Amino acid sequence: MDYLVAVLLPQLLHGLVFGAALGLLALGLTVIFGLLGVMNFAHGELYMMGAYAGIVVIGVTGSFWLALVAAPVIVGVLGAITEAATLRPLYRREPLYGLILTFGLALVFREGVRQIWGGDMRRILPPFTGSTPLLGMTYPDYRLFLLGASSVLLLAIWLFFTKTRAGIIVRAAVQDAEMLDGLGVNVPRVFTLTFAGSAALASLAGLLLAPVFTVYPQMGVEMILLAFIVVILGGMGSMGGSVVAAFVIGLAQSLFSLWMNPQRVAIAIFGIMIVVLIVRPRGFFGREGVLE
Amino acid sequence: MKRLTWLALFLAVVVSAVWVAAPAMSQSKVVKIGDLGSKIGVFEGYGKYQTMGVQMAVEELNAKGGVLGHRIEIISEDDETKPGPAVRKAEKLILQDDVKLLVGAVSSGSTMAVMDVTKKHKTIHWNSVSCAEFMRTTKFHKYYFSNQPDSRQQANGLAKYILDKMGKKVYLFYTDYAMGQSDGRQFKTAFEKLGGEVVGVAGAPLDTKDFSPWFGAINASGADVLFLAFAGTDSLRLMTQLHSFGMTKKYKLAGIDCFLLQQDLAAIADPMEGFVQLNHFSPYNPDPNMQAYNARFKKKFGVDANIAAGSYDAVLFWAAAVEKAKSFDPDKVAAAHEGMCRDNTHIGRQCIRKEDHQVVMDMHLYQVKAGQNLPIARIDGKDAIGEPMVGKDPVEGFTWEIKKKK
Amino acid sequence: MSRVFGWRSAVAFAALAALPWLPGVPKYYLLLAFDALLFGAIAMSLDLLIGYTGLVSFGHAAFYGLGAYATAILLERGILSLWACLGFAIVVVGLYAAVVSYFATARRGIYFALLTLIFAEVVFTFFRYTQTFGGSDGIQGLPDALVFPGVAIDTPARKYYLVWVYLLLAYAVCRVLVTSHFGRVLVAIRENEDRARFLGYNVQKYKMLACMISALLTGLGGAIYPIRAAFATPDLMLWTESGEFIISVMIGGLGTLVGPIIGGVFFTLLRDKVSSYVDWYFIVIGVVLVVIVLFLPKGLLGLRRALGFGRWRATA
Repeated sequence: MDYLVAVLLPQLLHGLVFGAALGLLALGLTVIFGLLGVMNFAHGELYMMGAYAGIVVIGVTGSFWLALVAAPVIVGVLGAITEAATLRPLYRREPLYGLILTFGLALVFREGVRQIWGGDMRRILPPFTGSTPLLGMTYPDYRLFLLGASSVLLLAIWLFFTKTRAGIIVRAAVQDAEMLDGLGVNVPRVFTLTFAGSAALASLAGLLLAPVFTVYPQMGVEMILLAFIVVILGGMGSMGGSVVAAFVIGLAQSLFSLWMNPQRVAIAIFGIMIVVLIVRPRGFFGREGVLE
Repeated sequence: MKRLTWLALFLAVVVSAVWVAAPAMSQSKVVKIGDLGSKIGVFEGYGKYQTMGVQMAVEELNAKGGVLGHRIEIISEDDETKPGPAVRKAEKLILQDDVKLLVGAVSSGSTMAVMDVTKKHKTIHWNSVSCAEFMRTTKFHKYYFSNQPDSRQQANGLAKYILDKMGKKVYLFYTDYAMGQSDGRQFKTAFEKLGGEVVGVAGAPLDTKDFSPWFGAINASGADVLFLAFAGTDSLRLMTQLHSFGMTKKYKLAGIDCFLLQQDLAAIADPMEGFVQLNHFSPYNPDPNMQAYNARFKKKFGVDANIAAGSYDAVLFWAAAVEKAKSFDPDKVAAAHEGMCRDNTHIGRQCIRKEDHQVVMDMHLYQVKAGQNLPIARIDGKDAIGEPMVGKDPVEGFTWEIKKKK
Repeated sequence: MSRVFGWRSAVAFAALAALPWLPGVPKYYLLLAFDALLFGAIAMSLDLLIGYTGLVSFGHAAFYGLGAYATAILLERGILSLWACLGFAIVVVGLYAAVVSYFATARRGIYFALLTLIFAEVVFTFFRYTQTFGGSDGIQGLPDALVFPGVAIDTPARKYYLVWVYLLLAYAVCRVLVTSHFGRVLVAIRENEDRARFLGYNVQKYKMLACMISALLTGLGGAIYPIRAAFATPDLMLWTESGEFIISVMIGGLGTLVGPIIGGVFFTLLRDKVSSYVDWYFIVIGVVLVVIVLFLPKGLLGLRRALGFGRWRATA
């Protein structure tokens, strides 16, 4: 019982916090994948730029909360411009080109940020620093806020896609863009706006996580691989799947590190992933024939 | 004819690229030295300061007429913090630019790979940043010198202070790659030898995002002191997270030379409060040599120097050895280095030990107070350096296992 | 055979063979040329998959790195024969490639890319954390390999000829393959997999075979790397390395074999030269990549055609 309360439960909580944040990052990735057929290698850089945009806004206004609103707008606009300028010409080409293009964009974004802000690590101070006694240990308030905020955001996105007209149009575009075009919807605009939304979501995740994970130009590269794994595991293009998979990975990572040498955890996670893909080739919720 | 165009294109690409930067006609009376380090990525804070140190030394030397009547020219290269590019760049520096001295690299993995190159091509090689324990033992060769304390020196410096002043039960948390393993190993060995107890060890992979999964085990271990062997971005993240969980107050914290650079300290002053760190150099040390050096460094570059500034003395040692040998011949220059002492280095008088070419350096311990490293102890270099172990495996018989005490 | 080895290739290889004898070539350029040609040859092997079969592997760094470790492990234990190293690399890479290609070729498109990526990450993580193989330091300080007892591959010129022979053989293998019936089936699969299946071809078997051949060629390339560099480290298997192979293929031109060789050479030289002068060379590389995808989807070889040099035999 002591073990349960003192060790297992806190570890579960760590897993949930990390999983929720990972879910935010993976969600944008999976929507773009479903919609444009592009595995966006630059997604991690959008996440990174969210944190840097946050630093700029906080530097000017001194408010974390204002940054939380402004950073996604800034990065969202940047995302829209990027999509219109570079990805739009590639729609009719093979998905491979999108993959390579975003790989190049990621290099440019990452090095661009490094040139402007330098390679040093920066910190964003959390808006509140207290901690709450919880489950026999003191748990930082900001992490609890992170869990709450991510969960609310995930719920809001779910409502957006199921209850609003705009959300339904995006989902329809994922299913069949040509049909939608025939119905008179401006599909390129849907694509651009969705990309902007995905960029905004990534930047929001970057800024929310910044007080915990700190800020530096490489931060996106280190997250993107994990986000890819989440997207594949959840089933490509499946939003619910991505969220579930994000929690599975988050929990697996923190629980495994209780029982095994931490360096084996990474291998164990890849192991889970390979097994899932062999048993359920399309991930948890993947549909047949999506971009194969 | 189209076939010819194809061929021409192919040849043009290969040949032109080969000749683009073919070495310019070498001017008389110029000697080149190579500066190899990480200019990009996690370790750029070290690489860039290493370059500054080299620049400062060369400027001073050239102002006095260079070395052996030769003006010194620096060629700086980036190794991407990977052994592959490090080896290629080292070969470029030696075979193309014909450098007579190579300073570098930053990460231990790169430096060890470069040691094979400098050994093969008989080039004087100074290391001022990397600290793995293999470089003056199994990997050692006669052209290699170091004025960075390796992990054995650092552990010897820290272990006694921690045992006497901080606590007898230590939890050892390290970053699981070359540098962290080597620091963790040496510290555990030194600490247990002195009679201290290591109550737990854990390694976290390089670039770990969230360290909180390890905190449960640390809290359950009953340790008084947390010994942290991390560097660069990992250190900052770890301290931020330890602080948010209230653990920076709960434990006494100590760490190694490369744990955190001086210039990063300001951003993280609060979590670092009270942290005991070993540095052989700090701009906050009142030692007159360090102050004098830092004043010159700051005047030139506008920033405080850091531990990578040892590259300054590496160049000066080499120049002195060349003057003494009256030749650039690597064998003669290497022999001239042995046992050499210099006054007025960045940390005062220093001597190169003959047996393993390690500079005997005093270890300074600092405690962070309000974002500044304040000196709290000084360990004599002779006590820290340990016996020469050239050719011997420094980690033979080592185990991470915890010795249970009653 | 003349289809396989046109006189152009013969002249090109002869020119490359003459490189060490050109007056005033610093030894360093031979080593740089080694890296450039090795990178080119690996990009060419990858082109077999990407350009001809339509499968994008994001895990070639694992084949490359495994080959390198195979050699490094033998050299470290005093087994210096080049042939033993190559043989061991074929066995190790072959076994791993068989597993990967079996599971990965069952999937198409992005799934193939990501499965190869994940498998490669497993191998990378394994070597990074296995102390028997040196952990993150890898295996360093290797002795020179021997072609025959007493004949060591020690000078830059000898190392250069090693990669020259490797490139020659790899090119011959690839050229023979793509001009054969087998190669035409691969192109048919790329163009329309279902049709190829209806025509009675065992599509997965073909894909698996293409994957295996590409992996083995890459593994052999990896196997000669420690002979030149005297070490093998986990960095060789990093997923960004796989990305760089793909970049080389793209720069040169998909489905042309020669293009990726040029792409690999170009990429290696670009990085080596630019990084000596500026510290933002990754921006240069990124921009080159974006420009190529947007404006030169057929790579540098496509540039030739765009400039009106006549039609390149785009695919076999």
